[in-house]
Amino acid sequence: MDYTKYVLKDNEELASLLEDKDNIFVISCNKCFKEFESVEETDGDDFAAFAKEQGKNVTGITKVDFLCNQLLTAKKLEGIIPEGTEYIAVCSCGLGIQIVAEMEDLPVIAASNSLNYIGHHGMALTQKTCGACAQCYLNLTGGICPIVDCSKSLLNGQCGGAKNGKCEVDPKKDCAWEKIYQRLEAQGRQKDFLDQPVQLRDYAKSNFKVVNDFVKEIRDSRLTGYNGGVHPTENKELAENIPLAKFPEPEIVVIPTSMHAGAPATPVVKVGDTVKVGQLIAEQNGFISAPVHSSVSGTVIAIEPRPHSKGTDVDAIVIQNDKQNTIDDSVKPAKPLEELTADEIVEIVKDKGITGMGGAGFPTYVKLKPGKPIDAVLLNGCECEPYLTADHRVLLEQADDVIYGLKAIIKAVGAPKGIIVIEDNKPDAIELMEAKVADDETLEVATVRTKYPQGAEKMLIKNVMKRMVPSGGLPADVGAVVANVSTAVAISDAIQKGMPLVERAVSVTGDFMAKPGNFMVKIGTDVQSIIDYCGGITREGATVKMGGLMMGAVLENTNVPVIKGTNGIIAVNTEYTEANECIKCGRCQDVCPMELAPLNFYKFAKQNDAKALLEKNIMDCFECGCCQYICSSKIPLVMWIKAGKQAAREVK
Amino acid sequence: MLITQLKEKESIEALVNGKAFIINCFGCKEVHFPEKEAKEFQEELKAAGKVTEILTMDYICNPKNLELHLQNYKAEIEAADVVLVFSCGVGVQTVADFCADKKVFAACDTYELPGYQGVTPQLFDCDQCGMCFLNGTGGICPLTACSKSLVNGQCGGAKNGMCEVDPEMECGWERIQKRLEKLGRIDILKNAPVQIRDYSTDDATKEAKQSE
Amino acid sequence: MKVTELFKEGKFVVSAEVGPPKGINIDKMIEEAKEYLTGVDAINVTDNQSSVMRLGSLAVCKVLKDNGFNPIFQMTCRDRNRIALESDLLSAAMFGIDNVLSLTGDYTKLGDHPGAKPVFDLDSVSLLYTMGLLEQGKDLGGQDLDGEPPTFAKGAVVSPCSDSVDAQLVKMERKIKAGAQFFQTQAIFDSERYIKFYERAKEFGVPIQLGIIVPKNAGMCNFMNNNVAGISIPAGIIEELKADKERAKAGITGTEIAARIIRECKDYCQGVHIMTLGWESKIPGLLEQAGLA
Repeated sequence: MDYTKYVLKDNEELASLLEDKDNIFVISCNKCFKEFESVEETDGDDFAAFAKEQGKNVTGITKVDFLCNQLLTAKKLEGIIPEGTEYIAVCSCGLGIQIVAEMEDLPVIAASNSLNYIGHHGMALTQKTCGACAQCYLNLTGGICPIVDCSKSLLNGQCGGAKNGKCEVDPKKDCAWEKIYQRLEAQGRQKDFLDQPVQLRDYAKSNFKVVNDFVKEIRDSRLTGYNGGVHPTENKELAENIPLAKFPEPEIVVIPTSMHAGAPATPVVKVGDTVKVGQLIAEQNGFISAPVHSSVSGTVIAIEPRPHSKGTDVDAIVIQNDKQNTIDDSVKPAKPLEELTADEIVEIVKDKGITGMGGAGFPTYVKLKPGKPIDAVLLNGCECEPYLTADHRVLLEQADDVIYGLKAIIKAVGAPKGIIVIEDNKPDAIELMEAKVADDETLEVATVRTKYPQGAEKMLIKNVMKRMVPSGGLPADVGAVVANVSTAVAISDAIQKGMPLVERAVSVTGDFMAKPGNFMVKIGTDVQSIIDYCGGITREGATVKMGGLMMGAVLENTNVPVIKGTNGIIAVNTEYTEANECIKCGRCQDVCPMELAPLNFYKFAKQNDAKALLEKNIMDCFECGCCQYICSSKIPLVMWIKAGKQAAREVK
Repeated sequence: MLITQLKEKESIEALVNGKAFIINCFGCKEVHFPEKEAKEFQEELKAAGKVTEILTMDYICNPKNLELHLQNYKAEIEAADVVLVFSCGVGVQTVADFCADKKVFAACDTYELPGYQGVTPQLFDCDQCGMCFLNGTGGICPLTACSKSLVNGQCGGAKNGMCEVDPEMECGWERIQKRLEKLGRIDILKNAPVQIRDYSTDDATKEAKQSE
Repeated sequence: MKVTELFKEGKFVVSAEVGPPKGINIDKMIEEAKEYLTGVDAINVTDNQSSVMRLGSLAVCKVLKDNGFNPIFQMTCRDRNRIALESDLLSAAMFGIDNVLSLTGDYTKLGDHPGAKPVFDLDSVSLLYTMGLLEQGKDLGGQDLDGEPPTFAKGAVVSPCSDSVDAQLVKMERKIKAGAQFFQTQAIFDSERYIKFYERAKEFGVPIQLGIIVPKNAGMCNFMNNNVAGISIPAGIIEELKADKERAKAGITGTEIAARIIRECKDYCQGVHIMTLGWESKIPGLLEQAGLA
């Protein structure tokens, strides 16, 4: 089906439009609401060919996806209209034409007519329509719309014009009221219909002011800080007020050698060895890697591949917990922060196995050696993922450690200041942190709007520092270092106690978690044991994820260990669905915080076209999942993007 | 893209005779959905023991997607006297077709979004009239920029350049006038033939589609 | 009697406006017309003015005509689609009502039926064009009319003191191109501003009747200044009305002001159009003071 919104005007009209004009630049929209067959539509070419036939000089042509997306269109059109152009012809629906007319100083020729569909369609390409009358009558009519389905939009029953159950206006169309009677009769509801008062439509219901204000508001929210983003239901109330509790000692821990980005660590213990809390059990293996330490005291009972949250088996060191919590000798406080040099801090962070705790697990020490001047350290306390509340609790309950860790990072990278960034859905944390940093000129708290993926590095930098990390670049390229609040706590522990990263805050929550909570959990603790401790899962077939709703990994097997990046375990609704074909609704592009066009990634990944993928900057995508979340065709876009990146890497 | 507001609480309550199976559609939530109000209302209903289950999903306008979800809730739908749908009119109709033997009720009214047929609401409106007037109006749509959708120029109702219908809205024809003056094209307005809208372009649309 | 013929004769055309009642009893209206409006050349009958439902304009025109007056049938595009508008034009012509004033109409929400569907199928320009078509024996659907086609004196309105006067002038030009043969203006209180407008509008060569309202008091003026489009009442006039409340209440001050405006603008228009707003009784005095009686 095709609900494209425009067709070119007929040749006669175009000819008269062009009569006194010349030197025309053509802008053509690649259309929307149709099955995604070709990446570029031909309307612009057709128009340009026609203009040339009329003896006109066409100064150029450009084709734009979703011309109505003002922000992206402005960027695409910047500087592309050649000198000597006198007119711009636009092939688009009226939205696109008006966008261009507003943006450019040259006169604009509307080369197309918008198509007029009766009623509106939903997001899916469906025949079902809605007249948006603002006074839904479906409750009186058995769920068949009298506004759209009846040619006369009658509200009080059938007119006399139906013949053989067909409409007098269009004999191919069923009489809507005939269908309504049948449906009501089948449901035994004729009397309800007879007894209802006379229906008079209120045409004043459409309140332009409400709608206009509302449109302003959504645009504002869509564009604040950065383009796009989404607002999934937060569901933080399930756990946000439950204090962090120490999770009971696990019987055994399964500590994978790979809990970080980069090469797995190399075990330095053998089966049968006795280990203590904080003892090194696997050493760093290369530049991008991190050492691993024991979270319990006890005996190594196996070193073998074990199930991992990423879905494959990964080498792990399995330790029987003696529950004595004997601390390893290496766990000793370092010098006070004031006496530590930057290099010493980096060394501690490296030796204590600290990796990014927001999820990606990048070794933190690498970030602390940016090799470039840093203007600010951004401490990410956004916790923009729905459900998760661990960082929120950390901010509230470990505020001093958070600040200590932040100061250590500031010192390590030589930054003049640190900014703790918190979303506005955590007013208690903002208030507490503001009080804590009030006397420190180098620290500040920034409140940002609650919007996913607010906590993503590049979004934070753009939003707080108004700087754009260049395509393929790192935060340090624009003078920023970003770290998670839990990472700051781990750094604080490493310096003040000498304790490596062996324990972390985890939210255990979700609509179907019987007793949600926030816990300090030892690395290596079995996820299923945590779920059991929290009363189990209340709906059969619910989905369990490690991490957040948006970027968390679905756990087919819940007998996997908590790792350094595990910020949450959530039990949520299962999506029962199938992917449909892309219908070019354009929402993925609308919500992409990186201003990319995910629909093209899907298209090109399917075709395995690495060149095109790279041209569309697929490598800038950090897989936040906004596009997949919003996709009206339920296409697993992140999967396609991963496949596309793989294909692109192979070419590179 | 369609957005909704909740009907009067009393009028929804009156629809629920017995127990309800509730469907929320969040497909257009990024644009608008009365989530807080709907949740409050549903929790009250649930507390009164009048709910068999609440299913929150998205894009119920897609029949296939709807079917895949509803399959898992057959018992709950069976046990309900009515299916109460919190969505736009398209969603309600899709559910009503899928459960043709059930009473399916709409809990929301669908806002009219005149001219906002963009992917997400844009500042510029297009009414999809099928006979684009933008060539004569400096690229400002007279159908959506003017409350009366006048196509031959300003009415006498503008005051201080603002519309008589909504004093916070700039008169569309004033904007058109200014734009054309800026472009030095005021003549195209003066010399334009009398414009008369053709309201039968729906049919033209169908024909254009069929001939493809 | 077509007012266009009066203009052609070089007559200074005076018209006044009456609003039909909300009900079917028009005896009072007719009596008042007989008492106060015998000195005018034509009487406008408003068409559900301000979107407030009233007795129909066409029916009242017919009654006025039967009583020996020369009615001007005001037609707005708010309540009827093109079929009804064309049909009502034919009805008017059949009754011998041949002066028609084309207006777009106030928006529905501003009146006493805010939930009504606003039609605006045609607008003031296309309605004028439609009259022209009917005069050629054609309708908008492209069909021929039976027999002798109707003829009309095709009137339109313009708002000289609008803050969008440029847009108004463009629209005026379009109305003329669409067939407008005379104009009545929105009420004028600022002669200077009107004359400036006239200097631009006179090039069109179409007669203009100066719109006049007899101001009742300062409150009314302030209200109109704030709320009525195209109205601009200078502070001096408001002061005059404030000066002696009793005189103002009796209509003496207002009549003086209106008469003065007419005298000031008389050389810059081809007639006047008086909107009475219930003060029909002031018309004879006004015409006398303005030197038109």
